[in-house]
Amino acid sequence: MTKLFLVGGLLLAAAAPAWAHHGFAAEFDQTRPLKLKGTVTKWEVTNPHSWIHIDVKGDDGKVVGWMIEGGSPNNLYRLGLTKDSLPLGSEIVVDGYQAKDRSAKAVGKSVTFADGRRLFLGLPGPESEPDKK
Amino acid sequence: MTYRSLASVIAFAAVIAASMLAQIPAAVQAQSPATPAKTASATRAWTPPLLPDGKPDLQGVWTNNTVTDLERPKALAGKEFYTEAELKDLQNQERQRLYVTETEGQPPANHSGVEGAGADDVHYDFSQFGLDRAQAKLAWSRRTSIIVGPEGTIPPLTPDARKRLAEIRAKAKGHEFDGPEMLPLGARCIARVNVVPLLPSAYNSNLQIVQSAGYVAIETEEIHDVRVIPTDGRSHIPGNIRQWYGDPVGHWEGNTLVVDTTNFTEMSPFRGAQNLHVIERFTRVDQDTILYQFTVEDPGMWTKAWSGELPITRINGQIYEYACHEANYGLADTLRGARVAETDAAKNSAK
Repeated sequence: MTKLFLVGGLLLAAAAPAWAHHGFAAEFDQTRPLKLKGTVTKWEVTNPHSWIHIDVKGDDGKVVGWMIEGGSPNNLYRLGLTKDSLPLGSEIVVDGYQAKDRSAKAVGKSVTFADGRRLFLGLPGPESEPDKK
Repeated sequence: MTYRSLASVIAFAAVIAASMLAQIPAAVQAQSPATPAKTASATRAWTPPLLPDGKPDLQGVWTNNTVTDLERPKALAGKEFYTEAELKDLQNQERQRLYVTETEGQPPANHSGVEGAGADDVHYDFSQFGLDRAQAKLAWSRRTSIIVGPEGTIPPLTPDARKRLAEIRAKAKGHEFDGPEMLPLGARCIARVNVVPLLPSAYNSNLQIVQSAGYVAIETEEIHDVRVIPTDGRSHIPGNIRQWYGDPVGHWEGNTLVVDTTNFTEMSPFRGAQNLHVIERFTRVDQDTILYQFTVEDPGMWTKAWSGELPITRINGQIYEYACHEANYGLADTLRGARVAETDAAKNSAK
């Protein structure tokens, strides 16, 4: 860490909000963790959750299309996201949990590009003057 | 700094802070101002711009994104306001937390698969999708809770309300995923708890206000709801007409918009209240701030009325669409998941 902020005074800040659109535990199975490496074929930039579609090649050479649940896109737009932020054909790695219906759907707990960069973080300059923090 | 070391520092700071707080005489703590000093002085000194109809201009795109909890944390009992120095510490902590989160991912305790982590922690990293609250503009306040007053908490439920809610829970137990109607209104994209009263959401805590003669309209981005509030002196609609977000009627008291909302449906998304009555006050106190105050009452629900206050601050840009039904695959996934679990259970019991 290059910069150490003052951490003192009262303990005020709670953890980041864990609430979201729905109960994740009802949709995804914590006993079925998975790691997927695949190529982006479609990105649904939708609410209440965005969905990244990837083609994953199994050990047997068979390709399976997976859908990965992510967050609402609204604040990504405010942070300067464009459609180019996740080009089709990108290779990404997903650490997550499979859906309880056992279909090829999962929540993307952590999503990185093949070179290790975390998805959508470190975006280039904002395009719509996001608010100064 | 790793999460473990950060946690140690924060824990140490908490101990120090708690001991400092304990040493401050109650009388000194009680000297906190009734309203934040900046807000109070700004209210006196600042005159809001007026629209052609002579009413204050509340229009624009705003946020009520905040780190302030609705209810006061127990560690801060009796302390209604932070000092300016404490507020600066809080802001530094929030920046620090975001820095670590963006660098290392959300803390392991927020993920499943970690001992002690809750089952609900099976989710994506909020910061990766721009949903960590600190990645958006925050409306800071010296208040230690949104709820005002020495207690800073929601009053106790009435005995009848406790009984009613317990019965509802008992009836639903084991049937939580029988069908879509058993799922929360939010998961069904019908209504959210952040609309009336106007409270921050976990993310997308943005809203837009538009005015015309005799009306004020408030759109909350979550979940794309617009309240159209008449200010032309009309009465509430007949009592037998009930609506998700009630029937709002507004009027101006000086520079303050006062909104009285009744006629909520008994299925109101707000904490199970059945006869909700909400009174809200919107006062623009400077160029970039609206002071929002509200009082909530339902004599059948709470033993007394309770009130809250938080700033709403201006943001750049626009409100984005939140078409919640559009890709609400999660609802179907959840129900299908429950059916798979039932099938598995039936197979196991047949063995």
